[in-house]
Amino acid sequence: MEKLFDSLQLMVIGLTTVFSVLLLVIYLGKGLIALVNKFAPEEEKPKAVANNVSASNVVDPNVAQAINMAISQLTAGKSQATKIERI
Amino acid sequence: MVEILEKIYSMTAIGNFVEHPQYIIMILLAFVLLYLGIKKEYEPLLLVPIAFGVLIANFPGGGMGVYAALDTTIDGVLYHNAITFPDGSLWCDANGIPYNIYEVGLPLIAHDLGIINYLYYALIKSGLLPPIIFMGVGALTDFGPMLRNLKLAIFGAGAQFGIFAVLLVASQFFEMEEAGSLAIIGGADGPTAIFTTLKLAPHMLGPIAIAAYSYMALVPVIIPLVVKLTCSEKDLKINMREQDKLFPNKQEFKNMRVLKILFPIAVTTIVAIIVPDAVALVGMLMFGNLLKEIGSNTSRLFNAASNGIMNAATIFLGLCVGATMTVDAFLNLKTIGIVAGGFLAFGFSIFGGILLVKIMNRFSKKKINPLIGATGLSAVPMASRVANEIALKYDPRNHVLNYCMSSNVAGVIGSAVAAGILIKFLG
Repeated sequence: MEKLFDSLQLMVIGLTTVFSVLLLVIYLGKGLIALVNKFAPEEEKPKAVANNVSASNVVDPNVAQAINMAISQLTAGKSQATKIERI
Repeated sequence: MVEILEKIYSMTAIGNFVEHPQYIIMILLAFVLLYLGIKKEYEPLLLVPIAFGVLIANFPGGGMGVYAALDTTIDGVLYHNAITFPDGSLWCDANGIPYNIYEVGLPLIAHDLGIINYLYYALIKSGLLPPIIFMGVGALTDFGPMLRNLKLAIFGAGAQFGIFAVLLVASQFFEMEEAGSLAIIGGADGPTAIFTTLKLAPHMLGPIAIAAYSYMALVPVIIPLVVKLTCSEKDLKINMREQDKLFPNKQEFKNMRVLKILFPIAVTTIVAIIVPDAVALVGMLMFGNLLKEIGSNTSRLFNAASNGIMNAATIFLGLCVGATMTVDAFLNLKTIGIVAGGFLAFGFSIFGGILLVKIMNRFSKKKINPLIGATGLSAVPMASRVANEIALKYDPRNHVLNYCMSSNVAGVIGSAVAAGILIKFLG
């Protein structure tokens, strides 16, 4: 009976603490987001020219080859990528 | 000639197998685990080293099994952390006094008890490797999805319900320390389960590690089972993106990179203040994550943490944990209790997360798919992937992966905190 009481007590303490810690993590996250937005916003990058945008969408041939090899290995050669695009 | 044959016979392990056939059961168990790891691909990175550890530990005379250090009383005198050999004799010094294993040097352990005991007492029993693995896990974890859906992180707490529910039941059949070690399986986190068991009930390390990793490998079976028993089709069709459109998240992110760097530092500080016993795990998790998020300036450390160090740690952890599963440690009724209790802990944890979602849905206009509660377990990212597949089965447009990752990653923190609480109160 004593063990049951002890474990019940531990259940209440444990779940309360886990909930409290994660609630704190949530509010801490929100606080950090607000702080970062206020004091360290990312500098806006100059708008890219249309040509540059399309150029940045092109995937490095080595990367494309690696992706294709990975797909081939995972699917035992049954599939391959037909189009690879940076998004 | 007969004498030579007798000597050859006594040299081999065959005689021991005839005298103690239970060793054969353990070797067959190792074969089954190797099959599951290699052929069925159940967590092979851990199950293969663990299974091989079980195999090499159970050849009589091989000296590769880990000896448990237990308090032993002889003629009314209590000897702490004494080693008892399988034949019942004690590991003693020249005066016949049993050694306290924590008071002897590692070279003596290596010399008298073999290298596996050296590795076990230096790397595992010291509690070194689980936090090291947590550092690697942190280096491979992205807190981005959690930061984008912060509110969903609370389900990482709901899914710790199984730990404490099973503690309640297991305390009636086990000692409290043992019940705590068994219950932590519900956190669905291997290193956390090992770390907690080392602190509370090290003699149960082998079966608990096997149960924890086996159930983690069975996440694709257990989550759909619990979801099927507790969720309706209507629940599972809740489309999170549509809910986001109806009730948009007003949070904007002006610098995610800086946010991701600050987050692990802040979480470590908060957890360290509230649950200091969880710092070994949460601190190392966040340190590994910080190395990743800083970027190129710490990329060498990140590579070491997520590859070299983590892989080496995994090998030694797996082999040593497997080597703790000797005949005496495994073939007993407690193991059956651990296997059954572990399953219950896992199931209750998934149920706890789902239940919390259902309760919140009753009071909130913005509905949440219960699968996001089910992934409050630690098993990252497998639980999220499984939940996503279930959601897609009911609605091919309903991609919940990113939402599930929020509760899933929070579950890693939640289970580490739960472990810290168990260690604090039961250790």
